[in-house]
Amino acid sequence: MNVEAPVAVDGWDESSIKRLFDTDTGWLDRRVHSDEALYRLEMERIFARGWNFMCHESQIPNAGDYFINYIGEDQVIVVRDERGQVNVLLNTCRHRGNALCRAERGNAKSFVCSYHGWNYGLDGRLIGVPGHKTYYRDALDRERLGLARVAKVENYLGFYFATLDADACSLHDYLGDVGRTGIGMLCAFGDVEVVDGIQKNVIDCNWKIAVDNLFDWYHVMYSHASANTAGFVELSKVLFPQNQMVMLGEYGHAISGPGLPKEMQNQINSLSHAERIEMAKALDHPLPRVRPHRASEIMGPEGVRSMGHPNIFPNLWITLEGLQMCLRLPRGPKHTELWWFTIVPKSASPDARRRMVQMATHLFGPAGLLEQDDGENWSQSTRACTGFAGRELGEFLAMGLGQDKVTTGENGQRYVETCINEHGQRWFYRAWREWMTGRDWSHIQKSTAIVNETV
Amino acid sequence: MSTREIHKPAVKADLALLERARLQYEVEQFLYEEAALLDAQKYQEWLELVAEDIHYWMPIRRTVTRSDIAHEFTKPGDMAFFDDDRSLLEMRVKKLMASSAWSEDPPSRSRHFVSNVRIVEVSGDEVTIDVCFHLHRTRLNSEIDSWTGRRTDVLRRHVSSFRLARRHIFLDQTVILAKNMSTLF
Repeated sequence: MNVEAPVAVDGWDESSIKRLFDTDTGWLDRRVHSDEALYRLEMERIFARGWNFMCHESQIPNAGDYFINYIGEDQVIVVRDERGQVNVLLNTCRHRGNALCRAERGNAKSFVCSYHGWNYGLDGRLIGVPGHKTYYRDALDRERLGLARVAKVENYLGFYFATLDADACSLHDYLGDVGRTGIGMLCAFGDVEVVDGIQKNVIDCNWKIAVDNLFDWYHVMYSHASANTAGFVELSKVLFPQNQMVMLGEYGHAISGPGLPKEMQNQINSLSHAERIEMAKALDHPLPRVRPHRASEIMGPEGVRSMGHPNIFPNLWITLEGLQMCLRLPRGPKHTELWWFTIVPKSASPDARRRMVQMATHLFGPAGLLEQDDGENWSQSTRACTGFAGRELGEFLAMGLGQDKVTTGENGQRYVETCINEHGQRWFYRAWREWMTGRDWSHIQKSTAIVNETV
Repeated sequence: MSTREIHKPAVKADLALLERARLQYEVEQFLYEEAALLDAQKYQEWLELVAEDIHYWMPIRRTVTRSDIAHEFTKPGDMAFFDDDRSLLEMRVKKLMASSAWSEDPPSRSRHFVSNVRIVEVSGDEVTIDVCFHLHRTRLNSEIDSWTGRRTDVLRRHVSSFRLARRHIFLDQTVILAKNMSTLF
């Protein structure tokens, strides 16, 4: 979808949006976290154009299985039809707009509107209208009144995404190397399934604060100190502040966090499958960080070293502490819903599965020993964006700026090896700026391609 | 029928009723005491009322159709908000007491209300109860969280009181309308 960027919308034009983030200094204008008009533009230019995560195939295995999700603020039904195809339909009746599905998941033969009884097939076709003959007198063009479908639905390794933009590139190209490496992280141990139960909660923060925080390994030692004190995690064993690896990808995807040094990965590469299992056991972690051979195939020879946090732009966080994905769903400029999906390899033994589910339960989510402390930081940071004086101060994202080299490794994978940094956050806001002003896909693609050798 | 004969069964019934009332009283006193410790943030003392083998569990609730109501709550072993044994609860308490527990410092104000206490089973030294709860929390200057729900607790006889051996919490929310659940239910 092409947008009329040069025309000012609600007072925001191309140059004023570009000025909101200064890539040369790392200063971010706080209005990006509070302004209503910018939020409405995000709905149109980011969420309606980009590929949004819907669900994993294991959540809707049978015909009629559905799961409700969102594209921006548009609620959608993700449903498998009788032919096995996954459709993504706007959850709104074409008659008066009522929601077809009010449950958040389930199985349906068709979708019947509770208002006047209009009935839609699993593919969205309008198959029944009460009073079609008697009241509409056969004058209704039912073909034109099917549920609105999103423009494209595609999956990568069983993870379904949808976009409202018919001009969008393929999901494969959208994900690019960095996005595919990120999803590959979830599948590195084999085919996966989603564990029953999506944890959902609302935080009074802007969705982008929740997103940029996932790249932020600087806050871990301080914000989450109490989880360390409690003996739940030994942060020094997971943080590796001097061994950070950052991968910056097209369209704004990025991975940031600890990375295994190349020499260590070379050692692992020389091990047999059995030797890797032994080494993983010695590490005593529910999810051994010694990845099997197959991981290099889907994460690439450099990406396989990453133990960091990928974000699939705009709002899908992947984390390997318990193998989870977290959607940060915008609910107005000052509220975000967090949805946690927990993933396990299908081949996991009952004991390994149990340990992974336990880890996921206790780490993140609203009662998670780590996540409890994030919400307040995010909500108070969002709050400070509305004060007249406070919002003039900006936010400072300068750590490591201009100080790190981009290396091109085997297979052309590009990465940065450095200490704790804010490259991921800067990459995210830089891409946000391009999405908000980019008129078409080629502009966004070009402007988010890495050309610099220094970041 | 003599007066004596009329009164005899009634006296027996009264004794059984008194037994039940006494148990009800003991159970309620335990629940009030425990709630007061949580509200006073005497977490260490609260832990002393917790059995070694506790299962403290809050499954995830979903909005589902009536025909799909069997899937309303997640099952044990699948995802949950809390799925704790005693060592996890000890960690939660240690975290709450840590000087860096930012989500609870300044501390939230909480009020635990327990009502509709029904004794559903007495088996050996264990009493299974079903209660309604309301946990009201205010935080900083203007934040209010209000959680209601149902709990099934198992209380086990211990000296002159009980120990909490199971707490299964069925919250009346699907999307948790709070930024965290850093408190104990």
